[in-house]
Parts: sequence; structure tokens; C-alpha cells
Amino acid sequence: MLQQLIADTANGLQQICQHELPLLQQPADWQTKYRLLMQLGKKLPALPEKMRQPEYLVRGCESRAWLLHYQDPVSGKHFFVLDSEARIVKGLLAIMLCFVNGKTSAELTDVELSRHFDALNLRPYLSQSRGNGLNLMLQRIQTVTSA
Amino acid sequence: MAAFNPLEFRQHFPFFQSQPDWIYLDNAATTHKPQQVIAAELAFYQQANSNVHRGAHQLSQQATALYEDARETVKSFLNARYREEIIFTSGTTAAFNQLAFGLMHSLLKPGDRILISTLEHHANIVPWQLHCLTQGVILDVVPLDSQLMPDLEAYQALLALKPKVVSLTQVSNALGHILPLQQMLSAAKAAGAITIVDGAQGIAWQVPDLQQYPADFYCFSGHKLYGPTGIGVLYGKTALLEQLKPLLGGGEMISEVSFQQSSFAALPARLEAGTPNIAGAIGLATAIRFLRQFDAKLINQYKGKLLQQFADGLAAIPGLRSLTQVTQSAGILSLQLLNEHPNDLAVLLNEQKIAVRAGSHCAMPLFASLQLPGAVRFAFAPYNLPTEVEKTLEALQAATDILR
Ligand SMILES: Cc1ncc(COP(=O)(O)O)c(C=O)c1O
Repeated sequence: MLQQLIADTANGLQQICQHELPLLQQPADWQTKYRLLMQLGKKLPALPEKMRQPEYLVRGCESRAWLLHYQDPVSGKHFFVLDSEARIVKGLLAIMLCFVNGKTSAELTDVELSRHFDALNLRPYLSQSRGNGLNLMLQRIQTVTSA
Repeated sequence: MAAFNPLEFRQHFPFFQSQPDWIYLDNAATTHKPQQVIAAELAFYQQANSNVHRGAHQLSQQATALYEDARETVKSFLNARYREEIIFTSGTTAAFNQLAFGLMHSLLKPGDRILISTLEHHANIVPWQLHCLTQGVILDVVPLDSQLMPDLEAYQALLALKPKVVSLTQVSNALGHILPLQQMLSAAKAAGAITIVDGAQGIAWQVPDLQQYPADFYCFSGHKLYGPTGIGVLYGKTALLEQLKPLLGGGEMISEVSFQQSSFAALPARLEAGTPNIAGAIGLATAIRFLRQFDAKLINQYKGKLLQQFADGLAAIPGLRSLTQVTQSAGILSLQLLNEHPNDLAVLLNEQKIAVRAGSHCAMPLFASLQLPGAVRFAFAPYNLPTEVEKTLEALQAATDILR
């Protein structure tokens, strides 16, 4: 089950990197941007209800998200599965995953998420209130990958 | 008094000149402040600043007079009998923490019951819980009926268990529903309970006449009544306030201190340890005087009209469902977009500069009982305008278009 979710997530993220991220970089009205964000969230598999366990929960102020983590014992690469109740949040979290999924611990220390979000003109979302839980998710990723 | 003029009312609030692009519908979280209130706080610091009740000098006496005048203003606003019944706190939350601590360590015994409703804000839940376990006190909750109002039959049954305390909100912050408190509190009094009202949302809807009202305690926050943040009121009947064990100890609240023991000062000082929020109290009194220039009935009629206009407009947008019964509401409407999380709707409204709140509104048990992740709350104030309602409806239409 987890292996399938990890594979589906990796697949979805690859598509997002190829198709949606370049689109996001283009100027567009806010409606288009949000439509894209939501579309992109849909590329990641939904976490089945029974896997939405408290230990995976990342509680934002207004919505809940879940993060599952797996480190390949051979390559040392980190893989994630993630879901959120809120669609826009899921889209933003998916973008975040694009830059961290499949990386080793050493590679992860070099990831500058804020730079990537700047390039996508998404910086405001990263720094927005605790409401969207993006920063909480980032902290959770850092915690699980440095453990 | 003349008819209520919302444009004139709005003119008193400088915020709207600074932020002309925003439509502010988060009034249940906090209201804006009229120029008079801002000026009063500023004037205190610029012209009269001194600590109260202590300096031998005249400045302190003047500051004390201003602070005590503020208490007098609140007293007459609520029609309380005595000035000692008005305790300044930092807000509703602080008032409830004092109440819970004070009652748990005085009048309540193990095995006693406290009755609240499903519609309560966390401020009327958590302070009780902090002590229930250690004090052996039981917290009962009145369930909701199909209209999302307290189930009055269940309420009667719970009253039969003889709760020592019945603590209810005047208006639900999450849904806007006005509780039938006259009836509920009278029944609670008849059952021998101490009655507490959370007036945080209710005060801006209907100011109680406390000499007629069947409440022993009444709490509210200044900042939801066009006053400053950090100031609120705990009203209580003198005989009961005198029995409350003080939550905060320190200066001002004592008459004599030795290292062995201290004796407490008389009310209200007894429950106001430390330097109070003097400027805040003055600001609150100014807000009350400001508000008294207007006819409360006309203001409520106007808010009701805005709400109805909003509700009528919503009917034309498919997928939206109001959790609020508009006819039972004090100017708040909470809604849901079918199968969507409220956060998505709120983000898309924020993008269009509509300030609303999404989520469970500090009433998690309520939304758990409804099996909903929360709602998006639109809370109207008399400075909101019909044109703002229209724009909000358009923004909702645009948001739902994106989500579908
Ligand atoms: C019904 C109700 N009770 C209590 C509170 C807490 O008020 P404060 O945060 O001002 O202490 C609020 C504020 O949201 C409220 O709406």
C-alpha cells in the first residue's frame, strides 16, 4: 500500500515538474493560478481514510494535512506521500514536495524552498499566516528527514 | 433618534480610509475602532498618564478618576446595581478563567456538575476542563436540535441533574444563533444553579439589563464592541464575586500582606491584581459612549437587512449551504460549499480582499458534532454596506466557479 502510494506520488510530482511548474511561472490572472494549483494537487494520490493516522497529521490552523515519509535504506533517499483536506493547500504542498522528494539528507540541506517559491511567484503563500500550514509541513519534513 | 445612516456611522472608523480595498466581514473576531476611541487612548497617554490607586500625587488621582469613571460607564451601560460588580479583565477569556478558577476553589465540590451548550466557544469550555479532573467536577453539554439551537428538552433533562453552574453563550460565535437565554436562564435559576453568560458576541447585539436579566455573571470583551483589545469585563453579583477565589495575586488586590498570609482588598480591587489596562478601560468607556448615540434597535434592523440581502443572494449560487438560520442570527452567517473544505473558499475570498474567517472558529466540539471540518463565517457590522454585500456575493460566485 505505502509502496504504491510512494510510486504514485513520485509519478505525480514528475508530471507536475514537467507540465504545471512551467505554466505557473507564466503570468496569469489569479483565477488561472488557483485553477492550476488545484489541478496540480489532484496529481497526487488521495490518502485512504485508514491511513490518515494521528502520527502523520500536520494540523494547520484551518485545515488538516498528512505526511508519510519513507527513507530508502540503500540509496538513503527520502520519499513522501501527502494529502490535505483543502485543495489549494494540497496544491501548494505538492509544489513543496517537488523540491524535496527523492533527495538524500545531504541534498536536502541545500534545498532553498523560498527561492523556488519566489521563482514561481508563490512566495506570499509560503509566508502567509499559520493558517495554511505550509510552514508547519516544511518543519515536519525537516524533522522526519533529520531523524 | 433619526433613522440609522450606515454611511455616517462608517465615517467614524478611520480604518476604512486606510484600507479602502478591503471588505471586512470578520467582525465576530474583532470590530474596528471609531476615531473617538483611538483618540481617547492616545489622549490618556499623552496628557494624563499615571498609575491608578497609588500615587500620592494629583496625577495619579486624575488617572484613577478616569479609570473609575470608565467603570461607572460600564455599570450604567449594563444597568448593574453596584460599581463593585464591574471587574475589568483583559477580555472574555480572562473572565472565564477567573470564574472557573474562582468557583472551582470555592463553591464547587467534587461530584458537582457544570452545564454548558454545544455552541460554546473554547473560552467557555477549556477553563472548566482545566479544573474538572483535579476537582472531580463533571461537565455536561446540552446537545443541538435540528435547527442547530440548544435542544430544550435535553436541557430540561440535564437541569434535573441539578448542575451548580449553568454557563451559556448569548450568541454563538460560529453560527450567529441567538440562544433563548431568558427562558433557559430562568429555568436554570429555578433549578438552583449559578448562571453565567458569555456575552462576547451578544453584547454587540443586545445589551442586557442586568437588574432584570437572570444571570449571576456576564462577561464580554471590549474589542468586539468597537473598543480596544486587551480590555474586558467580568460582571458578577456582589455576594458571588466576594466568594470567588482570586486567580491572580499581587499588588492592589490585598489589604494586608505578611509572609505568613495576606488578606484581600474589597471588590472590585480584590479581583484586579496588578496595574490594570487603564487606557483600555478609558477606550472601552469611550466606545460605549460612542455607541449610545445610536439606536440599538435600528442598528439591529440594519444588520438584519444586510444579512437577509446576503442570504437571498446566496440562494442564486449553487452548492452553497448556510448552516445559520438567518431569522435566529445576530448578524452572522456561516456557510459551506458542498464537498469543499472551507479553507479553499476562504483563500479565494482573501484573494479578492474579502476578510472572513474559515475553520472551526474556536468551537471544535460544535463542528465535531456536526461532522463538518468547519465553515466560512461572514459577520456583519453596522458599518458594512449593501454594496459590500453585493461585491461579496460576486466574489463568492467567482470562488465557487473556480472550485467547480
Ligand atoms: C462567544 C465567544 N466567547 C469568548 C470569546 C473570547 O473572547 P476574547 O478572545 O476576547 O477573550 C469569543 C471571541 O472570539 C467569542 O466569540
